[in-house]
Amino acid sequence: MIFLQNAIDAISLGAIYALAALGIGLIFSIMRLINFAHGELIMVGGFSLFTLSGQPLLVMMLGAIMVVTLLALGMERVAFRPLRKASPSTLLISSFAVSYFVQHIVLLVFGSRAIGVSFLSELGTAIEFGGLRIPLLQIVTIIVTLLLMGGLVAFFKFSRIGLQMRAAAEDFTMARLVGVRANRVIAFAFAISGVLATMVSIYLVAQTGSVSYKMGVSIVLIAFVASVIGGMGSVAGAALGGFLVGVVSVSLQAYLPVELRPYRDAFVFLIFILFLLWRPDGLLASKANRERV
Amino acid sequence: MLKIEDLQVKYGNITALRGISLEVAEGEIVAVIGPNGAGKSTLLLSIAGVVKPKSGRIVLQGKAITGMQPEVLVSSGVSLVPEGRHIFGSLSVAENLALGATPRRDRHAVAGDIEHVLTMFPVLKDRYHQRANKLSGGEQQMLAIGRAMLARPKLLLLDEPSLGLAPLVVNQVYQAVLELRKSGVTVLIVEQNVNRALAAADRTYVLNTGAIAMSGKSSELGGSAAFDAAYFGVASGAGKP
Repeated sequence: MIFLQNAIDAISLGAIYALAALGIGLIFSIMRLINFAHGELIMVGGFSLFTLSGQPLLVMMLGAIMVVTLLALGMERVAFRPLRKASPSTLLISSFAVSYFVQHIVLLVFGSRAIGVSFLSELGTAIEFGGLRIPLLQIVTIIVTLLLMGGLVAFFKFSRIGLQMRAAAEDFTMARLVGVRANRVIAFAFAISGVLATMVSIYLVAQTGSVSYKMGVSIVLIAFVASVIGGMGSVAGAALGGFLVGVVSVSLQAYLPVELRPYRDAFVFLIFILFLLWRPDGLLASKANRERV
Repeated sequence: MLKIEDLQVKYGNITALRGISLEVAEGEIVAVIGPNGAGKSTLLLSIAGVVKPKSGRIVLQGKAITGMQPEVLVSSGVSLVPEGRHIFGSLSVAENLALGATPRRDRHAVAGDIEHVLTMFPVLKDRYHQRANKLSGGEQQMLAIGRAMLARPKLLLLDEPSLGLAPLVVNQVYQAVLELRKSGVTVLIVEQNVNRALAAADRTYVLNTGAIAMSGKSSELGGSAAFDAAYFGVASGAGKP
């Protein structure tokens, strides 16, 4: 029973990490940019929900999606498009700059203390199910994540722009040579990463009931690790890596000796360092990526 | 069709093209030959918009296209089949061909053109739903040419289409090039395989260390001492590298 309970915990946490990692992996696959400002998209999503609190649920969520997507597109336009020919490290540093900039704007406007938000608190109740107590939020998270991923797979497989994005992820120059418009696929990737980030915001705010200007920092780090584990440049790998990191975190939380549990994250990262020593390219290494390096 | 005037390209401090001029008339097949590192690929990449020239002009059908983006140039009728083919290996043959038609809006005509490519290269039909990286080198070259054809180019740029292919496959590739010309496409080929190039092209330019060393009708170029000197470099005499 306890095992099943842990498994559900692991899957729902993994789902959130997977969504966050997908946002990072998607941008990386197309632009070779590790967008650390992705955490700020998640954070701004949280503050949008806070600002809109009191409105109908749908208005809050759609409003947050809109704000975050516009911010993602704005980032691309202002901070990344002018640097598109620059080296990946320059792009990385630019993403740090954007990250700090957005954090401090929010700090200036909302202050440094975490602010309580009552949002979807009814999802905190647990359902009794054959001796298991499963918080509703976990179930909703798992279902929503699966639906979103199914939608993304269908989008990449069947839509024209999805096909163009896959081509661009494999060989960006060649994609342009067949007529794929660089600005368009990159803007699409950022818009999708904005929507994915908002989903993470919705989960985080519902779970913690608060927002703070630093709320995106730790999750983006985990998402980055997850996308490396999965194989940088592979979108499916990012999702898989996210689930894996979630499963490992929850398992350690459950099965480490009690006195070691406070150091859980150290063990999580230790495991992933060992993993990367074994498979430096991650689970699903992207061939396109290796050739380019 | 295509006119290049005094084109200069630099990679950092290294000069790849030192002010070259050439012309391709409508319906012509023109070859550019020359040894490794002569700047042949750079020339095609500049025309296709991947490499930005430092100076000079590229004119397509009377319109200056120098420095335009690759995705815009495809819509204006310039398609490049790059060296090494660059097919999308993780995508299927069908998806690769569909991507070739990216700039077009006339979907019904695209379906007909895909049929046409598949009759031209029947191997692709057998492997239509397979991943493109499962194809042999020759099949990949055919896919790359088919993909470029689907943009309905006016000017087709081919970079080393015979590289690494068996002679029989090379025959097939060049057969396709001749057919394309019949349907009104102008072709500019870059080759290291001198005999192939001279046999297929109406006119040939010899490019050496970033400059045009010689040019003329293909039938009159080959074999002469002047040609050897131009190809292998005057300074080192006629000795082979």
